[in-house]
Amino acid sequence: MANFNFKERVIECKIVYYGPGRCGKTTNLEYVFKAFKKTTSGDMVSIDTKGDRTLFFDFLPMGLGKIRGCDVMIQLYTVPGQQKYSSTRKMVLKGVDGVVFVADSLEVRRKANLLSLKDLQGNLKEQGHSIFKLPLIIQYNKRDLAEEGFPILPEDVLERDLNSKLKAPSFAASAVKGTGVWPTLKECMKLTLLELQKELKWAG
Amino acid sequence: MSDKDRIRSLLKEAELYKKQSLLTQSKDKYLNVLQIIESSRQLGNREKLMDAVREKMRAVEEKLTEIDEAPEVPELSESQHNLIRKRFSFSKDKDKAAIEGAVALAKFGQYEQALEQFKKLLKQGVLPVVVAKNIITCLLSFSTAEAAVAQFGQWVSRESLSRPQLKQIRAFLNSTFEKKGIKAEIPKLDEAPAEGGKEDEEEDAVLDLSSISIQLESGPLKGETVEFDVTFQSGNSVSVIIPARRKDLLASVKTGMALSDIQCFSPIGFFRANGVLFGKTEIKDGPKQGDYLLEIAINADSP
Ligand SMILES: Nc1nc2c(ncn2[C@@H]2O[C@H](COP(=O)(O)OP(=O)(O)OP(=O)(O)O)[C@@H](O)[C@H]2O)c(=O)[nH]1
Ligand SMILES: [Mg+2]
Repeated sequence: MANFNFKERVIECKIVYYGPGRCGKTTNLEYVFKAFKKTTSGDMVSIDTKGDRTLFFDFLPMGLGKIRGCDVMIQLYTVPGQQKYSSTRKMVLKGVDGVVFVADSLEVRRKANLLSLKDLQGNLKEQGHSIFKLPLIIQYNKRDLAEEGFPILPEDVLERDLNSKLKAPSFAASAVKGTGVWPTLKECMKLTLLELQKELKWAG
Repeated sequence: MSDKDRIRSLLKEAELYKKQSLLTQSKDKYLNVLQIIESSRQLGNREKLMDAVREKMRAVEEKLTEIDEAPEVPELSESQHNLIRKRFSFSKDKDKAAIEGAVALAKFGQYEQALEQFKKLLKQGVLPVVVAKNIITCLLSFSTAEAAVAQFGQWVSRESLSRPQLKQIRAFLNSTFEKKGIKAEIPKLDEAPAEGGKEDEEEDAVLDLSSISIQLESGPLKGETVEFDVTFQSGNSVSVIIPARRKDLLASVKTGMALSDIQCFSPIGFFRANGVLFGKTEIKDGPKQGDYLLEIAINADSP
């Protein structure tokens, strides 16, 4: 849940990048950190293993300027995608306001995408959120691999697999090249802030 | 496609997956290649080819074992510890947040740093029983039962904790040992100075709960389990919030309702209990206006 601190006039919210292992969550954050230095409000922190897999989380704080005189800070997190880190994912998801689900376009990861989405749904439910109601964006990553002739799933297949019921806004992306990274995040921030404003309404 | 072309494209895939640390997938592709070579009639020099592929596959397998055997808990820097403490505590209450931060450290396997924080909190007199139990849990996680016993012995011989508090902690230590099948002599309380510490500090018999989940036994959600964050706790009663939009949930709970299966999550584990819903009131103003506050009495001694 977003954290309002009216005394200091700060609003903090939390966006979590979710998705199967190696789908490119960390790469998304790295790109944001590199390319949008101006909007970030601190260093990116990664806690990972030798093989570059996220072990606990990545963290990147951003400042979005002011809404109603309050500073809006957004914290971006990634979860570790590997299946065995289930309890860490739950921890990182705690207090989430918006989710970017990064799907891996590689054919060999088709099932992993589905499992991860299901895992997300379950973990959100445990925390009293519905995947249908929480601000959610889906990103189809690694689209660049098509150019080199690697077997990747067409977007409409991914859409059918993952988004036929959710009907979330979705974006094609290549996190290594940076395409689609910002549109994904921007849309997620937009939805998250809209939701926040609903909560803020009472304040006038 | 000729066998050669198929092999070439599979090898390319295998290399990509290796690069992206999709190691099982990479290995699968090498296995595919081996099968093709083995059954191919077009290819010459098959043994040599297979050896070369096996060599590549072995490198992937080595990486796989390396990952399996890598230590799960990395050494973190102080700023990473501080980040975890700050970002993984959610309570508005300063003391509770401090405890949550230390618990988060423990959850991430940073027991020594967690211990350090808990010791600081104990010195400050923050929820001593809860904090002391966390210290015991930490010690049992990264040190030994003897260390936990020695720590308890220290508390007994010093005057910082009251007798009732020590009694609670001793009971906790005892039941933890029983559960883990540890046989150890725990210092008796008779040896403690008669008048020590603050005597009647109000503290929970129930652990500090972060969330509870209850199974609904009637209404539209009958049979479902729902989890709530605990927004407030005083002794054995907790308050949780149901958002206004959860009409189905609101229709499933009513005052006086007995709850036969409550799962209680505390910073140091979870237990099951039963209880009673004794309050359901609409929140009239503030950010939660329209939501409902449920008050639940938890029977901590329930089997
Ligand atoms: N070709 C290509 N490779 C990508 C893309 N995005 C990520 N990768 C690669 O995929 C691998 C995994 O990327 P990460 O960002 O570490 O994946 P992750 O989702 O954080 O993985 P976990 O931390 O294990 O959950 C790396 O080798 C990246 O370079 C992309 O858009 N295109
Ligand atoms: Mg990662």
